[in-house]
Amino acid sequence: MVRQWIALVVFVHLASGNNDISVKDLTPSVYEPSWTYKCVPDEGCQRSQSPEPTANYTGTVYESLDLCRTVCGRFGGIWPRPVTAALSSQTVRIHPNYLRFDLIDAPVETREILAKMTQVATSNLMDECNGNVTDIVETPVIVFITIKTPNLEQTWSTDESYMLDVQNKEVNVAVHIVAETVYGARHALETFTQLVTADKPDYTDQYRCGLRLISGAKIRDKPVYPHRGFLLDTSRNFIPLEDIKRMLDGMAATKMNVFHWHVTDTHSFPLESVRVPQFTRYGAYSAYEIYTTEEVRELINYARVRGIRVVIEIDSPAHAGNGWQWGKEYGFGDLAVCTNEKQWRSFCIQPPCGQLNPANPNMYKVLRDLYKDIAEMLSQPALFHMGGDEVFVECWNSTQDITTYMESKGYERNTEGFIKLWAEFHSTALQIWDEELTAMGQSEQPVMLWSSELTQAHRISKYLNKDRYVIEVWEPVSSPLLSQLLRLGFRTVSVPKDIWYLDHGFWGITKYSNWRRMYSHVLPVEANMLGGEVAMWSEYVDSQALDTRVWPRAAAVAERLWSNPSSSANIAEPRLQRLRSRLAARGIPSDVLSPGWCAQHDSRCL
Amino acid sequence: MKSWGEALGRSASAHFSRVGRLRRAMLLLAVAACTGVALLYWRQQTGDQAHRPLHSLYSGVEPQWSWVCRNERCERLLATETTILQSLATCNMLCASTQLWPQPTGPVSLATAAVPVRADAFTLQIRSSPSRDVSDHLSDAFTLFIEDLKSLERTGSSESRRSDIGPSRDVIVRVAVNGSADPRLRLETNESYKLTLRPGDGVLYVDITAYSFCGARHAYETLSQLIWIDPYAGSLLALEAASIEDAPKFKFRGLLLDTARNFFPLNEILRTIDAMAANKLNTFHWHISDSQSFPLKLNSAPQLTQHGAYGPGAIYTTDDVRTVVRRARLRGVRVLIEVDTPAHVGRAWAWGPAAGLGPLAHCIEVEPWSAYCGEPPCGQLNPKNPHVYKILEHVYSEIIQLTGVDDIFHLGGDEVSERCWTQHFNDTDPMDLWLEFTRRAMLSLQRANKGKLPEVTLLWSSRLTRSPYLERLDKKHFAIQVWGASRWPESRAVLDMGFRSIISHVDAWYLDCGFGSWRDSSDGHCGPYRSWQQIYEHRPWIEEMPGMSTGAEPWLIDGGEVCLWTEQSGPGGLDARLWPRSAAVAERLWSDRPEGATADVYLRLDTQRSRLVAKGIEAMPLWPRWCTHNPNACL
Repeated sequence: MVRQWIALVVFVHLASGNNDISVKDLTPSVYEPSWTYKCVPDEGCQRSQSPEPTANYTGTVYESLDLCRTVCGRFGGIWPRPVTAALSSQTVRIHPNYLRFDLIDAPVETREILAKMTQVATSNLMDECNGNVTDIVETPVIVFITIKTPNLEQTWSTDESYMLDVQNKEVNVAVHIVAETVYGARHALETFTQLVTADKPDYTDQYRCGLRLISGAKIRDKPVYPHRGFLLDTSRNFIPLEDIKRMLDGMAATKMNVFHWHVTDTHSFPLESVRVPQFTRYGAYSAYEIYTTEEVRELINYARVRGIRVVIEIDSPAHAGNGWQWGKEYGFGDLAVCTNEKQWRSFCIQPPCGQLNPANPNMYKVLRDLYKDIAEMLSQPALFHMGGDEVFVECWNSTQDITTYMESKGYERNTEGFIKLWAEFHSTALQIWDEELTAMGQSEQPVMLWSSELTQAHRISKYLNKDRYVIEVWEPVSSPLLSQLLRLGFRTVSVPKDIWYLDHGFWGITKYSNWRRMYSHVLPVEANMLGGEVAMWSEYVDSQALDTRVWPRAAAVAERLWSNPSSSANIAEPRLQRLRSRLAARGIPSDVLSPGWCAQHDSRCL
Repeated sequence: MKSWGEALGRSASAHFSRVGRLRRAMLLLAVAACTGVALLYWRQQTGDQAHRPLHSLYSGVEPQWSWVCRNERCERLLATETTILQSLATCNMLCASTQLWPQPTGPVSLATAAVPVRADAFTLQIRSSPSRDVSDHLSDAFTLFIEDLKSLERTGSSESRRSDIGPSRDVIVRVAVNGSADPRLRLETNESYKLTLRPGDGVLYVDITAYSFCGARHAYETLSQLIWIDPYAGSLLALEAASIEDAPKFKFRGLLLDTARNFFPLNEILRTIDAMAANKLNTFHWHISDSQSFPLKLNSAPQLTQHGAYGPGAIYTTDDVRTVVRRARLRGVRVLIEVDTPAHVGRAWAWGPAAGLGPLAHCIEVEPWSAYCGEPPCGQLNPKNPHVYKILEHVYSEIIQLTGVDDIFHLGGDEVSERCWTQHFNDTDPMDLWLEFTRRAMLSLQRANKGKLPEVTLLWSSRLTRSPYLERLDKKHFAIQVWGASRWPESRAVLDMGFRSIISHVDAWYLDCGFGSWRDSSDGHCGPYRSWQQIYEHRPWIEEMPGMSTGAEPWLIDGGEVCLWTEQSGPGGLDARLWPRSAAVAERLWSDRPEGATADVYLRLDTQRSRLVAKGIEAMPLWPRWCTHNPNACL
């Protein structure tokens, strides 16, 4: 307020030298608004009061909102929030051509992938300026990367911590990254890119753009949960590979580390199996809507370079139909039953129906071939998701083959009998998976399974071994199941459907969770609580509408899982605004958080 | 590698490009020319499909589906299990449903046979036209129509173009417009049209008759829905014969986009207008300013943008507006620009004192905002400052001149904060100030419109449109855009009082609802999300109109409008918010069929959605693709 008065006095003083000022519009008729921004402690970035470029400011003003956000606040523009950060409010101009990465202190085994990681980081920096950094400065920026172990495995015990120091010396900028693993180093590189912003006026037509790096930073960081996942369903609707890669880019930007690929369901089977080509032939939506083995391998590598582990899910024994309907034709009998049943309401919860046929040994043979293919695709140690949700008893119960089989096994035709059959399926499937991994020289690995009737607290220990199964709990937050399973000693991953399902709010009585709700949900912190996922079921998205459905909401979950902050969503909002614009620069559109005015006036719209 | 298709003597194989690389794919069409009803593709059968051991099928196997029309619906079959190879698009077009959106209201008869056509083989003949202006519009709109067809044609792989589907026909489009010499959409414009399509020797003749350019343009749009791309043939196909008579049930079919909460670049607006036209919506209600920003740069009052825009580049210049208006006019769409007053104004009006005009607005960005407005930032015009009305006159005049719309105007007029005015004018009843403001704004409008009031001036429903103030508004001049919930008594009262109205009920046609509050973790003010089915089934004029038996006057509903307020929408997410839900409103207002979201509506809307996607509009899918592949199976 005081400053305004001073400005006014200056104005009056200037004006008094001129005689006819009383009714003249002092606004030049041609200029366009050029707002500036100030960083106000505890408030964030605030747009200037006047749109006119003025010389006599006191204090630092920034020409762009992104620049202001990058330096403003304790954590600047970093998302997710690091454990500790000391950031300078000064910036130094840099250019990607003068950026060097020194990998001398990284074990030889890590260098190949590390080099790729640095390329991604550089390209992310270029993206800030839309690939064209016009402002050339020759200050060398040298990033020294130290990695302590040569281990390239991605597991729940992978150490993802890192330290990142930026020092602006006289002649150059030295950036020091120290991490236990190459994946920690990758996260450090991501954070490093988030210390950089484009210096360009908002919305300008004439292109000019430079990069600015925070000139001093000291960051210590590590995740709270080892499993920070994004689930994408590519069966309800096919999602082209390019879109999936873009999702992985977004995950990498927010340090999510598990891509849970719900690749098949009853609707379609787009995953190519070299051993069982019928899956795609009978199950894909078209010849163009298939993920070939080669593409899957490429995607897994793409993910790894971004610190992401790919978990393939073949949902079974329910949620399997199209892709499995050729058994009879090939003399194998019914591999799946109730497939595409027209009176679907009696046989499944959502059309089309379909459930594997556990009475048919050929089904397990085919499953083995599929598992072999998948084991060969996944990187080691392989993490596989066996699905296991929503078995619809009425489907099995209406199939003669199966009821006969149950009789022969002495399973009664009641709930417990069907549960036994179901458990038998999982135990056989796991055995097959184990055998195939062993055949490839891998050790036994835990597998993931959805929570279900089978995983109810009173039942689970009878059927599932807690050392072998990690349970992904999708019950609503009101359900006690998650804490019950933790108490029973099961490792769990949490995806509460009423909070972290991205498709909710568009169908039935489900409710949309905005990013604040997603952000505000907190998980228990204990060793068996591996983390959580945010889930994009694809009934109502395909290549269209995908990005804005996912972003920025998935980022809210990412910060919950990485930082588990005790502060509120309101505190996080300015950083999330910065993330939005960063994602946009990287080619990932995301929904807006608020009217533009609120984005230009932090904390004024609360 | 033995391809599944290569085993077949008469099949061709081709390279399809897919996700950046070439992929061997099958094309096993052998086409026998069809006589009679349907154009069928025949595929020669091979014998030994069954009982092959798994290992002999290791590679090169491609899925391929064929659809056949059985019991008036298309059924998906594995291509190997049928003698007919037909694409879904073609099956849908030739099976029972019309596949038209919105469904025509007059008699429709469609052939069940198709012929190949090429986008570059269409010619326009204008048989009669009431004016040079109309003729020019007819040819320019035809050019747009051809461009749309060409881009559709490009979505079919050129490599898969087949020679054996028969020669393509030339199409001659003959248009006769007998009626309005004014190509603009006016309140009295007759939008009806007749369209016939019939084969001649080697040629398809399309005859279009209409009373206005807009009617003829709608006929182009309908014609474009009789043409589709067949992915198996790699060619456009058109129905061989058709006859359609059509006219809208409501004359005002609008879509509101708020470009003040968030700025939308010009291309997003142009794309939205294209999509509107594809659904025969006819009014683009451009809520161009609000308290958050004022992106419209007018020559007569550039200060509004200088102080009100989010930044350089977040501005619509007069040239931009002309571009929008031009595109809209060729698409049969009027551009209704709303500069909302007296509330919903902001920093754009803050320059008055410095310019010596005194405060043009009060409460600008005042805190605590919740005391003075519905959402931050606040601001309300100063009703006692005569400069305000002078500026409004300039603004209105320039808007009318830019849009060419002078028979209907929107003054805004919603959500006035009485408290804000009371604070500054404690001697006057704020409701009287509001009425006075409205009266003087109307005078500005009259002067801006060459001394004549537009036939209809729209106001948002508000406290002003409730008793006892409603009685003080003149029914001859004002029409009310009713945004309150359909069950609110005041929403009905406006209609019962005999005001002309546009329906935008918040509980049905607000597309921004259901995304939670953008300020806190609550549910927000107007959830839940309105599904396309709910939007489609909203027919308040049937459900709630007082019966004739009561002797009440029928409601004067000119039409309706779907609204997207953009607190939580920006460029990038626009299409998925608007489409296909706005298409549901479009059919409600054009056809107003008594039926709700029946199976046929799902099917036609699904096809319409794929048309929109082919035009580059990122419409949300209705459901999993399996349901598209298996029409009716998900219902």
